Amino acid sequence: MTEPTTQHASEMLLSAYWDGELGAAEGQQVAVHLAACRSCAGRLVALQALSADFDKLPRETLGYDLAGVIEAQLPAAARPRARQHETRWWGPLTASIGAVASITIGIALGLALFGGAAVPRITAMSVFDTMPPGSLCVGLEACYDKGARK
Amino acid sequence: MDDAHDELAGRAQGGDRHAFTQLVRRYQDRVFHFILRMHGGRDEAMDLTQETFLKAFRALPGWQPEARFSTWLFQIARNATLDVLRRRQRIEFVSLDEYSAAGEAVDPRDGARLPDEKLADQQRMALLECALRALPPEQREVLLLRELEGMSYADIATTLGIEAGTVKSRLARARVAALAYYRHYAGEISND
Repeated sequence: MTEPTTQHASEMLLSAYWDGELGAAEGQQVAVHLAACRSCAGRLVALQALSADFDKLPRETLGYDLAGVIEAQLPAAARPRARQHETRWWGPLTASIGAVASITIGIALGLALFGGAAVPRITAMSVFDTMPPGSLCVGLEACYDKGARK
Repeated sequence: MDDAHDELAGRAQGGDRHAFTQLVRRYQDRVFHFILRMHGGRDEAMDLTQETFLKAFRALPGWQPEARFSTWLFQIARNATLDVLRRRQRIEFVSLDEYSAAGEAVDPRDGARLPDEKLADQQRMALLECALRALPPEQREVLLLRELEGMSYADIATTLGIEAGTVKSRLARARVAALAYYRHYAGEISND
């Protein structure tokens, strides 16, 4: 194995190479370099040793079933959402009062319109008559009754 | 395996609480281990693990099935841990003399006198744990997600909310720093 005259692989390149996160072409370049460069090969070995140490780290565990604890707390955690749809005791009462009031007003209006006093005739639509309302228009001749010219 | 977990998460999102507790069982130790290594304190790591799952449950309606559940969960764990670290502005000055793997202080400078390979391994574990605690949190988290969880750069990027290129450079820096820590103490050993 000879030392190449080219630049050494950067830490970032070696690290990504070790993780298999380089593209095929770039990975191949690093592999070729590593085959020829003792220094970079040694740095790669150090990275591998570091990863191996992580594998040997004792896997700490909780030591109890957290799921049981969480399960007991889930209703409390979900209460804020459930509260939005919660039915209060006065809810149906309010609805009933509203319904009765609506029906009463409806009956009263019906009686006033059809069963009670005479309703004055609304003349507001006379604006579409040939005569302007109140004959107040002093503008175009078209506004005046054609019969009046005769 | 992740697909099965995503399916469970989908059911939990639909209101199946049993599915959620199954997810808790499957992830509790992984999440705890990650938080413990990030934070350092066992009791607080236990609390944070519980908090992570409760937060996850509340946030479940917002989980998008396109995102992997594990990535999403570790994102919550990581944020909860960082919040605590930031709140306390915890700055640790790690002393190897304080480190105790099994109730007894392990001094790596005793390495030359360790009788067998097992003890040598313990010494390296002590070094690694100290090196981890000495790393800044942004380097520690990226290293843990890669080395402990075996996440791809893309998944780490999603978990941490950074670019994959940043993962690449941050991970390389973290490894260099950890190895420098090793070398520092190895140098002391050889100089003794």
